[in-house]
Amino acid sequence: MGKILLKIEKLKVRVNEKDILNGVNLRIKGGEIQALLGPNASGKSTLVQVILGNPKYKIFEGKIFFGEKEITKFSPEKRVKLGMALAWQNPPQIKGVKFSELLEKISILKGSTSKYRFREVEPQLLEREVNVGFSGGEKKIAELLQILSLNPKLVIFDEIDSGLDIKRLAMVAKIIKKELVDKGVSVLLITHLGQILQFLKPNLTNIMVNGKIICKESDFRKVLRTIKKYGYEKCKKCKFLAG
Amino acid sequence: MKNVKNVNFWQVNHKIKNIFERRGVKVLPSPKAWEKFNWVRKILKEKPKEGYFIWVKKTINLPLEACVSIASLKISQNLTNLLVIEKGIKAKVNAVCNATKNNLYATHKAKGKLILKEGVFLEYNHIHKWGEKDFVSPDYEFVLEKNSRLIYNYQNLFPPENLELKTAIHSEKNASSNLNFVINSLNSKIKIKDTVFLEGKNSQTVVRLKLVGRKNSQIEAMSQIFAEAPGKGHLDCQGLLVDKTAKISLIPQLVCQNKEAQITHEASIGKISEEELTYLRMRGLTEKEAIDLIVAGFLEK
Repeated sequence: MGKILLKIEKLKVRVNEKDILNGVNLRIKGGEIQALLGPNASGKSTLVQVILGNPKYKIFEGKIFFGEKEITKFSPEKRVKLGMALAWQNPPQIKGVKFSELLEKISILKGSTSKYRFREVEPQLLEREVNVGFSGGEKKIAELLQILSLNPKLVIFDEIDSGLDIKRLAMVAKIIKKELVDKGVSVLLITHLGQILQFLKPNLTNIMVNGKIICKESDFRKVLRTIKKYGYEKCKKCKFLAG
Repeated sequence: MKNVKNVNFWQVNHKIKNIFERRGVKVLPSPKAWEKFNWVRKILKEKPKEGYFIWVKKTINLPLEACVSIASLKISQNLTNLLVIEKGIKAKVNAVCNATKNNLYATHKAKGKLILKEGVFLEYNHIHKWGEKDFVSPDYEFVLEKNSRLIYNYQNLFPPENLELKTAIHSEKNASSNLNFVINSLNSKIKIKDTVFLEGKNSQTVVRLKLVGRKNSQIEAMSQIFAEAPGKGHLDCQGLLVDKTAKISLIPQLVCQNKEAQITHEASIGKISEEELTYLRMRGLTEKEAIDLIVAGFLEK
Protein backbone atom coordinates (compact mmCIF):
# COMPACT_ATOMS: atom_id res chain seq x y z
CA MET A 1 0.00 0.00 0.00
CA GLY A 2 1.27 3.48 -0.83
CA LYS A 3 1.27 6.78 1.03
CA ILE A 4 -1.92 8.46 2.21
CA LEU A 5 -3.66 9.88 -0.85
CA LEU A 6 -6.89 11.28 0.60
CA LYS A 7 -7.14 12.63 4.11
CA ILE A 8 -10.31 14.09 5.57
CA GLU A 9 -10.17 15.70 9.00
CA LYS A 10 -13.16 16.52 11.19
CA LEU A 11 -15.33 17.52 8.25
CA LYS A 12 -18.56 19.30 9.07
CA VAL A 13 -21.16 20.38 6.53
CA ARG A 14 -24.49 22.05 7.11
CA VAL A 15 -27.27 22.43 4.55
CA ASN A 16 -30.30 24.65 5.25
CA GLU A 17 -29.49 24.84 8.97
CA LYS A 18 -29.26 21.06 9.19
CA ASP A 19 -26.00 19.29 10.02
CA ILE A 20 -25.39 16.69 7.33
CA LEU A 21 -21.78 15.78 8.10
CA ASN A 22 -20.78 15.83 11.76
CA GLY A 23 -17.02 15.55 11.83
CA VAL A 24 -15.98 12.95 9.29
CA ASN A 25 -12.47 11.49 9.42
CA LEU A 26 -11.24 9.33 6.57
CA ARG A 27 -7.86 8.27 5.16
CA ILE A 28 -7.29 6.38 1.94
CA LYS A 29 -3.85 5.19 0.86
CA GLY A 30 -2.53 4.85 -2.69
CA GLY A 31 -3.76 1.59 -4.27
CA GLU A 32 -6.21 0.91 -1.44
CA ILE A 33 -9.86 -0.14 -1.81
CA GLN A 34 -12.19 1.09 0.88
CA ALA A 35 -15.92 0.83 1.27
CA LEU A 36 -18.35 3.21 2.91
CA LEU A 37 -21.66 1.74 3.99
CA GLY A 38 -24.56 3.36 5.68
CA PRO A 39 -28.33 3.60 5.80
CA ASN A 40 -30.29 5.99 3.56
CA ALA A 41 -29.76 9.66 4.38
CA SER A 42 -26.70 8.95 6.51
CA GLY A 43 -24.67 11.52 4.53
CA LYS A 44 -22.72 9.23 2.17
CA SER A 45 -23.63 10.98 -1.06
CA THR A 46 -23.13 14.41 0.52
CA LEU A 47 -19.68 13.35 1.66
CA VAL A 48 -18.58 12.29 -1.82
CA GLN A 49 -19.99 15.44 -3.40
CA VAL A 50 -18.09 17.50 -0.82
CA ILE A 51 -14.88 15.54 -1.48
CA LEU A 52 -15.17 16.46 -5.18
CA GLY A 53 -15.96 20.11 -4.39
CA ASN A 54 -19.64 20.49 -5.26
CA PRO A 55 -20.19 24.25 -4.66
CA LYS A 56 -23.69 23.56 -3.33
CA TYR A 57 -22.21 22.36 -0.04
CA LYS A 58 -20.40 24.68 2.33
CA ILE A 59 -17.79 23.27 4.67
CA PHE A 60 -17.85 25.11 7.98
CA GLU A 61 -15.26 23.02 9.73
CA GLY A 62 -12.57 20.51 8.80
CA LYS A 63 -10.06 20.00 6.02
CA ILE A 64 -9.53 17.80 2.98
CA PHE A 65 -6.07 16.87 1.71
CA PHE A 66 -5.17 15.12 -1.54
CA GLY A 67 -1.59 13.94 -1.66
CA GLU A 68 0.42 16.74 -0.11
CA LYS A 69 -2.10 19.48 -0.94
CA GLU A 70 -4.93 20.90 1.08
CA ILE A 71 -7.83 21.05 -1.38
CA THR A 72 -10.69 22.13 0.91
CA LYS A 73 -11.36 25.24 -1.20
CA PHE A 74 -10.41 23.89 -4.64
CA SER A 75 -12.92 23.96 -7.52
CA PRO A 76 -14.23 20.60 -8.79
CA GLU A 77 -12.22 20.85 -12.02
CA LYS A 78 -9.01 21.52 -10.08
CA ARG A 79 -9.60 18.41 -7.97
CA VAL A 80 -10.21 16.37 -11.12
CA LYS A 81 -6.98 17.72 -12.55
CA LEU A 82 -5.15 16.45 -9.47
CA GLY A 83 -6.53 12.95 -10.07
CA MET A 84 -9.85 12.67 -8.22
CA ALA A 85 -12.95 11.26 -9.89
CA LEU A 86 -16.51 10.53 -8.90
CA ALA A 87 -18.99 8.20 -10.58
CA TRP A 88 -22.40 9.68 -9.80
CA GLN A 89 -25.28 7.70 -8.42
CA ASN A 90 -27.88 9.64 -10.44
CA PRO A 91 -26.06 11.53 -13.17
CA PRO A 92 -28.04 14.38 -14.77
CA GLN A 93 -29.11 14.46 -18.41
CA ILE A 94 -27.21 16.79 -20.71
CA LYS A 95 -29.65 17.26 -23.55
CA GLY A 96 -28.36 17.80 -27.07
CA VAL A 97 -24.82 16.63 -26.22
CA LYS A 98 -23.76 13.28 -27.61
CA PHE A 99 -22.09 10.92 -25.17
CA SER A 100 -19.18 10.41 -27.58
CA GLU A 101 -18.75 14.21 -27.74
CA LEU A 102 -18.42 14.42 -23.95
CA LEU A 103 -15.96 11.52 -23.85
CA GLU A 104 -13.81 13.13 -26.52
CA LYS A 105 -13.85 16.42 -24.61
CA ILE A 106 -12.74 14.71 -21.41
CA SER A 107 -10.04 12.76 -23.23
CA ILE A 108 -8.67 15.92 -24.85
CA LEU A 109 -8.63 17.78 -21.54
CA LYS A 110 -6.86 14.96 -19.77
CA GLY A 111 -4.63 14.06 -22.70
CA SER A 112 -5.84 10.48 -22.39
CA THR A 113 -6.75 8.17 -25.21
CA SER A 114 -10.39 7.24 -25.53
CA LYS A 115 -10.79 3.98 -23.70
CA TYR A 116 -14.37 3.32 -24.53
CA ARG A 117 -13.90 0.78 -27.21
CA PHE A 118 -14.25 -2.26 -25.04
CA ARG A 119 -16.68 -4.97 -25.94
CA GLU A 120 -19.23 -4.25 -23.25
CA VAL A 121 -20.20 -0.89 -24.73
CA GLU A 122 -22.97 -0.86 -27.24
CA PRO A 123 -21.99 1.57 -30.02
CA GLN A 124 -25.47 3.14 -29.98
CA LEU A 125 -24.79 4.43 -26.47
CA LEU A 126 -22.05 6.70 -27.80
CA GLU A 127 -24.42 8.27 -30.29
CA ARG A 128 -27.10 9.06 -27.73
CA GLU A 129 -27.44 12.24 -25.67
CA VAL A 130 -25.64 12.10 -22.31
CA ASN A 131 -27.79 10.12 -19.83
CA VAL A 132 -30.99 10.85 -21.77
CA GLY A 133 -33.18 7.78 -21.60
CA PHE A 134 -30.28 5.65 -20.34
CA SER A 135 -31.33 2.58 -18.37
CA GLY A 136 -29.89 2.06 -14.87
CA GLY A 137 -27.19 -0.21 -16.26
CA GLU A 138 -26.33 2.12 -19.14
CA LYS A 139 -25.88 5.00 -16.72
CA LYS A 140 -23.36 2.99 -14.69
CA ILE A 141 -21.42 1.97 -17.80
CA ALA A 142 -21.45 5.57 -19.02
CA GLU A 143 -20.08 6.79 -15.68
CA LEU A 144 -17.37 4.15 -15.75
CA LEU A 145 -16.29 5.12 -19.25
CA GLN A 146 -15.95 8.76 -18.28
CA ILE A 147 -13.97 7.84 -15.19
CA LEU A 148 -11.53 5.81 -17.26
CA SER A 149 -11.03 8.74 -19.63
CA LEU A 150 -10.04 10.91 -16.65
CA ASN A 151 -6.92 8.86 -15.80
CA PRO A 152 -7.60 9.19 -12.06
CA LYS A 153 -5.54 8.35 -8.98
CA LEU A 154 -8.60 7.99 -6.76
CA VAL A 155 -12.09 7.01 -7.86
CA ILE A 156 -15.20 7.25 -5.73
CA PHE A 157 -18.12 5.13 -6.89
CA ASP A 158 -21.42 6.34 -5.49
CA GLU A 159 -23.79 3.35 -5.40
CA ILE A 160 -22.34 1.79 -8.55
CA ASP A 161 -24.11 -1.45 -7.61
CA SER A 162 -27.63 -0.02 -7.36
CA GLY A 163 -29.94 -0.98 -10.18
CA LEU A 164 -27.55 -3.52 -11.70
CA ASP A 165 -28.42 -7.16 -12.17
CA ILE A 166 -25.85 -9.69 -11.01
CA LYS A 167 -24.42 -10.23 -14.51
CA ARG A 168 -23.91 -6.52 -15.13
CA LEU A 169 -22.55 -6.05 -11.62
CA ALA A 170 -19.93 -8.74 -12.23
CA MET A 171 -18.98 -7.08 -15.50
CA VAL A 172 -18.68 -3.62 -13.91
CA ALA A 173 -16.60 -5.06 -11.04
CA LYS A 174 -14.34 -6.82 -13.56
CA ILE A 175 -13.69 -3.55 -15.42
CA ILE A 176 -13.00 -1.68 -12.15
CA LYS A 177 -10.53 -4.38 -11.12
CA LYS A 178 -8.74 -4.60 -14.45
CA GLU A 179 -8.67 -0.91 -15.39
CA LEU A 180 -8.27 0.68 -11.95
CA VAL A 181 -7.39 -1.58 -9.03
CA ASP A 182 -4.76 -3.61 -10.89
CA LYS A 183 -3.17 -0.36 -12.03
CA GLY A 184 -2.79 0.94 -8.47
CA VAL A 185 -5.71 3.39 -8.50
CA SER A 186 -7.34 3.91 -5.09
CA VAL A 187 -11.04 3.17 -4.91
CA LEU A 188 -13.76 4.22 -2.46
CA LEU A 189 -16.99 2.29 -2.88
CA ILE A 190 -20.11 3.92 -1.51
CA THR A 191 -22.79 1.31 -1.17
CA HIS A 192 -26.08 0.86 0.57
CA LEU A 193 -26.49 -2.87 0.23
CA GLY A 194 -22.87 -3.88 -0.27
CA GLN A 195 -23.27 -6.28 -3.24
CA ILE A 196 -20.19 -4.98 -5.03
CA LEU A 197 -17.93 -5.77 -2.05
CA GLN A 198 -18.10 -9.51 -2.80
CA PHE A 199 -16.41 -8.80 -6.12
CA LEU A 200 -13.89 -6.15 -5.12
CA LYS A 201 -13.03 -7.14 -1.54
CA PRO A 202 -12.14 -3.85 0.15
CA ASN A 203 -9.15 -3.51 2.51
CA LEU A 204 -11.24 -1.47 4.92
CA THR A 205 -14.98 -0.98 5.37
CA ASN A 206 -16.36 2.18 7.00
CA ILE A 207 -19.84 2.58 8.41
CA MET A 208 -21.50 5.96 8.33
CA VAL A 209 -24.50 6.83 10.45
CA ASN A 210 -25.97 10.31 11.00
CA GLY A 211 -23.17 12.09 9.18
CA LYS A 212 -20.32 10.41 11.02
CA ILE A 213 -18.11 7.40 10.37
CA ILE A 214 -18.75 5.26 13.42
CA CYS A 215 -16.97 2.03 12.51
CA LYS A 216 -13.93 0.89 10.53
CA GLU A 217 -13.50 -2.84 9.96
CA SER A 218 -10.98 -4.75 7.82
CA ASP A 219 -13.26 -7.81 7.39
CA PHE A 220 -16.04 -6.64 5.07
CA ARG A 221 -17.80 -10.02 5.35
CA LYS A 222 -18.24 -9.50 9.07
CA VAL A 223 -19.77 -6.07 8.42
CA LEU A 224 -22.14 -7.42 5.79
CA ARG A 225 -23.19 -10.30 8.06
CA THR A 226 -23.95 -7.93 10.94
CA ILE A 227 -25.89 -5.51 8.80
CA LYS A 228 -27.84 -8.32 7.17
CA LYS A 229 -28.79 -9.73 10.55
CA TYR A 230 -29.37 -6.60 12.64
CA GLY A 231 -29.42 -3.66 10.21
CA TYR A 232 -27.55 -0.45 11.01
CA GLU A 233 -29.28 -0.17 14.39
CA LYS A 234 -26.72 -2.54 15.86
CA CYS A 235 -23.88 -0.29 14.66
CA LYS A 236 -25.37 2.69 16.45
CA LYS A 237 -25.27 0.78 19.73
CA CYS A 238 -21.82 -0.71 19.24
CA LYS A 239 -19.46 0.08 22.10
CA PHE A 240 -16.37 0.15 19.85
CA LEU A 241 -17.48 3.20 17.87
CA ALA A 242 -14.77 4.77 15.75
CA GLY A 243 -13.91 8.45 16.26
CA MET B 1 -14.40 32.50 -48.16
CA LYS B 2 -13.42 29.10 -49.53
CA ASN B 3 -14.12 28.14 -53.15
CA VAL B 4 -15.31 31.62 -54.04
CA LYS B 5 -15.65 30.64 -57.67
CA ASN B 6 -18.57 28.41 -56.76
CA VAL B 7 -20.37 31.10 -54.78
CA ASN B 8 -23.26 32.24 -56.92
CA PHE B 9 -23.34 35.74 -55.48
CA TRP B 10 -20.56 37.26 -53.42
CA GLN B 11 -20.51 40.85 -52.23
CA VAL B 12 -17.99 42.50 -49.92
CA ASN B 13 -18.91 45.94 -48.54
CA HIS B 14 -20.62 47.43 -51.63
CA LYS B 15 -18.59 45.61 -54.24
CA ILE B 16 -19.68 42.48 -56.04
CA LYS B 17 -16.74 40.09 -56.04
CA ASN B 18 -18.25 37.21 -57.91
CA ILE B 19 -21.33 36.10 -59.78
CA PHE B 20 -21.58 32.52 -60.87
CA GLU B 21 -24.55 31.23 -62.82
CA ARG B 22 -25.50 27.64 -63.33
CA ARG B 23 -27.62 26.22 -66.10
CA GLY B 24 -31.20 27.21 -65.33
CA VAL B 25 -30.21 29.75 -62.70
CA LYS B 26 -30.03 33.48 -63.39
CA VAL B 27 -27.97 35.52 -60.94
CA LEU B 28 -27.73 39.32 -61.11
CA PRO B 29 -27.23 42.27 -58.81
CA SER B 30 -30.81 43.25 -57.86
CA PRO B 31 -30.59 46.80 -59.37
CA LYS B 32 -29.69 45.25 -62.73
CA ALA B 33 -32.51 42.73 -62.52
CA TRP B 34 -34.88 45.61 -61.74
CA GLU B 35 -33.77 47.42 -64.88
CA LYS B 36 -33.89 44.32 -67.05
CA PHE B 37 -37.17 42.61 -66.11
CA ASN B 38 -40.63 44.16 -66.07
CA TRP B 39 -41.95 41.55 -63.68
CA VAL B 40 -39.21 42.34 -61.19
CA ARG B 41 -40.30 45.97 -61.19
CA LYS B 42 -43.82 44.77 -60.28
CA ILE B 43 -42.47 42.90 -57.26
CA LEU B 44 -39.94 45.50 -56.13
CA LYS B 45 -41.58 48.88 -56.33
CA GLU B 46 -38.41 50.86 -55.83
CA LYS B 47 -35.12 50.34 -57.59
CA PRO B 48 -32.78 48.50 -55.22
CA LYS B 49 -29.47 50.05 -54.25
CA GLU B 50 -27.66 46.75 -53.93
CA GLY B 51 -28.32 43.07 -53.26
CA TYR B 52 -28.84 39.86 -55.14
CA PHE B 53 -31.38 38.54 -57.59
CA ILE B 54 -31.51 34.78 -58.03
CA TRP B 55 -34.02 33.23 -60.40
CA VAL B 56 -34.14 29.44 -60.37
CA LYS B 57 -35.74 28.02 -63.49
CA LYS B 58 -34.48 24.45 -63.37
CA THR B 59 -33.80 21.98 -60.58
CA ILE B 60 -30.12 21.81 -59.69
CA ASN B 61 -28.54 19.26 -57.45
CA LEU B 62 -25.99 21.50 -55.76
CA PRO B 63 -26.95 24.15 -53.22
CA LEU B 64 -26.92 27.76 -54.35
CA GLU B 65 -24.61 29.99 -52.33
CA ALA B 66 -24.93 33.69 -51.57
CA CYS B 67 -22.51 35.57 -49.39
CA VAL B 68 -22.62 39.19 -48.29
CA SER B 69 -19.76 40.42 -46.13
CA ILE B 70 -18.65 43.56 -44.41
CA ALA B 71 -14.90 43.99 -44.23
CA SER B 72 -14.31 47.71 -43.59
CA LEU B 73 -15.04 50.15 -40.82
CA LYS B 74 -18.47 51.85 -40.64
CA ILE B 75 -19.81 50.40 -43.87
CA SER B 76 -23.56 50.69 -44.21
CA GLN B 77 -25.18 48.16 -46.51
CA ASN B 78 -28.73 48.53 -47.71
CA LEU B 79 -29.63 45.39 -49.61
CA THR B 80 -32.70 44.29 -51.46
CA ASN B 81 -32.64 40.61 -52.34
CA LEU B 82 -35.03 38.71 -54.53
CA LEU B 83 -35.17 34.95 -54.91
CA VAL B 84 -37.70 33.45 -57.27
CA ILE B 85 -38.10 29.72 -57.76
CA GLU B 86 -40.21 28.47 -60.62
CA LYS B 87 -42.94 25.81 -60.40
CA GLY B 88 -42.15 22.34 -59.09
CA ILE B 89 -38.43 22.98 -58.50
CA LYS B 90 -36.49 21.58 -55.58
CA ALA B 91 -33.70 23.84 -54.36
CA LYS B 92 -31.35 24.51 -51.48
CA VAL B 93 -29.86 27.90 -50.75
CA ASN B 94 -27.10 28.71 -48.28
CA ALA B 95 -26.93 32.42 -47.57
CA VAL B 96 -24.17 33.77 -45.36
CA CYS B 97 -24.03 37.36 -44.10
CA ASN B 98 -21.10 38.30 -41.94
CA ALA B 99 -18.53 40.79 -40.72
CA THR B 100 -14.98 39.67 -41.31
CA LYS B 101 -13.69 41.49 -38.22
CA ASN B 102 -15.08 42.12 -34.77
CA ASN B 103 -15.13 45.91 -34.34
CA LEU B 104 -16.29 47.37 -37.64
CA TYR B 105 -19.29 49.36 -36.34
CA ALA B 106 -21.07 48.35 -39.53
CA THR B 107 -24.72 48.41 -40.56
CA HIS B 108 -26.32 45.64 -42.55
CA LYS B 109 -29.90 46.24 -43.62
CA ALA B 110 -31.48 43.66 -45.86
CA LYS B 111 -34.94 43.49 -47.30
CA GLY B 112 -35.66 40.20 -48.96
CA LYS B 113 -38.49 38.71 -50.92
CA LEU B 114 -38.52 35.01 -51.65
CA ILE B 115 -41.15 33.60 -53.93
CA LEU B 116 -41.77 29.87 -54.02
CA LYS B 117 -44.07 29.10 -56.90
CA GLU B 118 -46.47 26.17 -57.00
CA GLY B 119 -45.01 22.86 -55.79
CA VAL B 120 -41.55 24.24 -54.95
CA PHE B 121 -39.46 22.71 -52.19
CA LEU B 122 -36.86 25.07 -50.75
CA GLU B 123 -34.39 24.62 -47.92
CA TYR B 124 -32.99 28.02 -47.05
CA ASN B 125 -30.12 28.14 -44.58
CA HIS B 126 -29.51 31.68 -43.43
CA ILE B 127 -26.29 32.02 -41.43
CA HIS B 128 -25.27 35.25 -39.71
CA LYS B 129 -21.91 35.99 -38.06
CA TRP B 130 -21.38 39.50 -36.81
CA GLY B 131 -18.98 41.61 -34.86
CA GLU B 132 -19.75 42.96 -31.40
CA LYS B 133 -20.48 46.51 -32.58
CA ASP B 134 -22.59 45.91 -35.67
CA PHE B 135 -26.20 46.84 -36.35
CA VAL B 136 -28.14 44.29 -38.36
CA SER B 137 -31.75 44.37 -39.55
CA PRO B 138 -32.95 41.71 -41.96
CA ASP B 139 -36.57 41.86 -43.07
CA TYR B 140 -37.60 38.84 -45.14
CA GLU B 141 -40.89 37.98 -46.70
CA PHE B 142 -41.62 34.54 -48.11
CA VAL B 143 -44.49 33.86 -50.47
CA LEU B 144 -45.43 30.21 -50.54
CA GLU B 145 -47.69 29.45 -53.45
CA LYS B 146 -49.93 26.39 -53.32
CA ASN B 147 -48.34 23.01 -52.55
CA SER B 148 -44.95 24.58 -51.90
CA ARG B 149 -42.76 23.72 -48.95
CA LEU B 150 -40.18 25.78 -47.12
CA ILE B 151 -37.57 24.82 -44.56
CA TYR B 152 -36.00 27.99 -43.21
CA ASN B 153 -33.09 27.76 -40.78
CA TYR B 154 -31.82 31.03 -39.37
CA GLN B 155 -28.71 30.75 -37.24
CA ASN B 156 -26.92 33.58 -35.49
CA LEU B 157 -24.30 32.33 -33.06
CA PHE B 158 -22.10 35.44 -33.31
CA PRO B 159 -24.55 38.22 -32.51
CA PRO B 160 -24.19 41.91 -33.32
CA GLU B 161 -24.79 44.67 -30.81
CA ASN B 162 -28.21 45.25 -32.32
CA LEU B 163 -30.32 42.81 -34.26
CA GLU B 164 -33.81 43.47 -35.54
CA LEU B 165 -35.02 40.41 -37.36
CA LYS B 166 -38.36 40.37 -39.14
CA THR B 167 -39.75 37.41 -41.01
CA ALA B 168 -43.15 37.04 -42.64
CA ILE B 169 -44.51 33.96 -44.36
CA HIS B 170 -47.59 33.93 -46.57
CA SER B 171 -48.89 30.43 -47.16
CA GLU B 172 -51.37 29.52 -49.85
CA LYS B 173 -53.38 26.29 -50.15
CA ASN B 174 -51.46 23.18 -48.99
CA ALA B 175 -48.27 25.18 -48.52
CA SER B 176 -46.18 24.32 -45.50
CA SER B 177 -43.27 25.86 -43.69
CA ASN B 178 -40.85 24.79 -41.03
CA LEU B 179 -38.98 27.69 -39.45
CA ASN B 180 -36.08 27.32 -37.05
CA PHE B 181 -34.44 30.31 -35.41
CA VAL B 182 -31.30 29.74 -33.35
CA ILE B 183 -30.00 32.96 -31.83
CA ASN B 184 -27.25 33.62 -29.34
CA SER B 185 -26.78 36.95 -27.61
CA LEU B 186 -23.82 38.59 -25.90
CA ASN B 187 -23.83 42.29 -25.06
CA SER B 188 -26.67 42.47 -27.56
CA LYS B 189 -30.08 43.94 -27.99
CA ILE B 190 -32.20 41.65 -30.11
CA LYS B 191 -35.72 42.09 -31.41
CA ILE B 192 -37.36 39.30 -33.32
CA LYS B 193 -40.71 39.28 -34.99
CA ASP B 194 -41.81 36.35 -37.06
CA THR B 195 -45.29 36.05 -38.48
CA VAL B 196 -46.84 33.22 -40.41
CA PHE B 197 -50.09 33.82 -42.25
CA LEU B 198 -52.03 30.65 -42.97
CA GLU B 199 -54.02 32.01 -45.87
CA GLY B 200 -54.89 28.89 -47.84
CA LYS B 201 -56.79 25.74 -46.94
CA ASN B 202 -54.58 23.07 -45.33
CA SER B 203 -51.61 25.38 -45.06
CA GLN B 204 -49.30 24.41 -42.23
CA THR B 205 -46.42 25.74 -40.20
CA VAL B 206 -44.14 24.77 -37.34
CA VAL B 207 -42.03 27.58 -35.88
CA ARG B 208 -39.22 26.92 -33.41
CA LEU B 209 -37.22 29.58 -31.62
CA LYS B 210 -34.18 28.82 -29.52
CA LEU B 211 -32.73 31.85 -27.82
CA VAL B 212 -29.73 32.10 -25.55
CA GLY B 213 -29.34 35.12 -23.30
CA ARG B 214 -25.76 35.73 -22.28
CA LYS B 215 -24.10 38.63 -20.48
CA ASN B 216 -25.68 42.10 -20.84
CA SER B 217 -28.24 40.97 -23.38
CA GLN B 218 -31.86 41.69 -24.00
CA ILE B 219 -33.96 39.57 -26.30
CA GLU B 220 -37.54 40.33 -27.23
CA ALA B 221 -39.19 37.80 -29.44
CA MET B 222 -42.68 37.99 -30.82
CA SER B 223 -43.76 34.92 -32.69
CA GLN B 224 -47.15 34.97 -34.37
CA ILE B 225 -49.44 32.74 -36.38
CA PHE B 226 -52.50 34.16 -38.07
CA ALA B 227 -54.90 31.45 -39.19
CA GLU B 228 -57.16 32.95 -41.81
CA ALA B 229 -57.99 29.58 -43.41
CA PRO B 230 -58.44 26.05 -42.04
CA GLY B 231 -54.77 25.37 -41.51
CA LYS B 232 -52.55 24.05 -38.77
CA GLY B 233 -49.73 25.73 -36.92
CA HIS B 234 -47.53 25.31 -33.91
CA LEU B 235 -45.11 27.68 -32.17
CA ASP B 236 -42.36 26.46 -29.90
CA CYS B 237 -40.34 29.22 -28.22
CA GLN B 238 -37.55 28.29 -25.84
CA GLY B 239 -35.17 30.58 -24.06
CA LEU B 240 -32.12 29.81 -21.97
CA LEU B 241 -30.77 32.45 -19.60
CA VAL B 242 -27.07 31.95 -19.07
CA ASP B 243 -26.19 35.12 -17.22
CA LYS B 244 -27.93 37.10 -14.50
CA THR B 245 -27.57 40.30 -16.54
CA ALA B 246 -29.54 38.83 -19.46
CA LYS B 247 -33.24 39.22 -20.11
CA ILE B 248 -35.49 37.30 -22.49
CA SER B 249 -39.09 38.18 -23.30
CA LEU B 250 -41.06 35.67 -25.32
CA ILE B 251 -44.43 36.62 -26.72
CA PRO B 252 -46.13 33.86 -28.66
CA GLN B 253 -49.32 35.05 -30.30
CA LEU B 254 -52.02 33.02 -31.97
CA VAL B 255 -54.75 34.72 -33.94
CA CYS B 256 -57.46 32.44 -35.26
CA GLN B 257 -59.97 33.73 -37.74
CA ASN B 258 -61.23 30.37 -38.95
CA LYS B 259 -63.10 27.95 -36.75
CA GLU B 260 -61.53 24.92 -38.42
CA ALA B 261 -57.96 26.04 -37.95
CA GLN B 262 -55.79 24.47 -35.27
CA ILE B 263 -53.01 26.55 -33.85
CA THR B 264 -51.04 25.88 -30.71
CA HIS B 265 -48.00 27.19 -28.90
CA GLU B 266 -45.59 26.42 -26.09
CA ALA B 267 -43.04 28.72 -24.57
CA SER B 268 -40.48 28.34 -21.82
CA ILE B 269 -37.48 30.15 -20.42
CA GLY B 270 -35.06 28.25 -18.27
CA LYS B 271 -31.67 28.65 -16.72
CA ILE B 272 -28.65 26.39 -16.72
CA SER B 273 -29.03 23.63 -14.17
CA GLU B 274 -26.48 23.84 -11.35
CA GLU B 275 -26.44 20.05 -11.21
CA GLU B 276 -25.48 19.72 -14.89
CA LEU B 277 -22.82 22.38 -14.45
CA THR B 278 -21.30 20.65 -11.41
CA TYR B 279 -21.42 17.28 -13.16
CA LEU B 280 -19.43 18.59 -16.12
CA ARG B 281 -16.97 20.40 -13.85
CA MET B 282 -16.41 17.06 -12.11
CA ARG B 283 -15.42 15.78 -15.54
CA GLY B 284 -12.66 18.37 -15.67
CA LEU B 285 -14.39 21.11 -17.68
CA THR B 286 -14.07 24.68 -16.42
CA GLU B 287 -17.28 26.52 -15.59
CA LYS B 288 -17.12 28.37 -18.92
CA GLU B 289 -16.46 25.20 -20.91
CA ALA B 290 -19.35 23.49 -19.13
CA ILE B 291 -21.73 26.40 -19.89
CA ASP B 292 -20.65 26.41 -23.54
CA LEU B 293 -21.31 22.69 -23.84
CA ILE B 294 -24.75 22.92 -22.21
CA VAL B 295 -25.67 25.88 -24.46
CA ALA B 296 -24.46 24.02 -27.56
CA GLY B 297 -26.62 21.07 -26.49
CA PHE B 298 -29.64 23.34 -25.97
CA LEU B 299 -29.26 24.80 -29.44
CA GLU B 300 -28.68 21.37 -30.96
CA LYS B 301 -31.56 19.42 -29.47
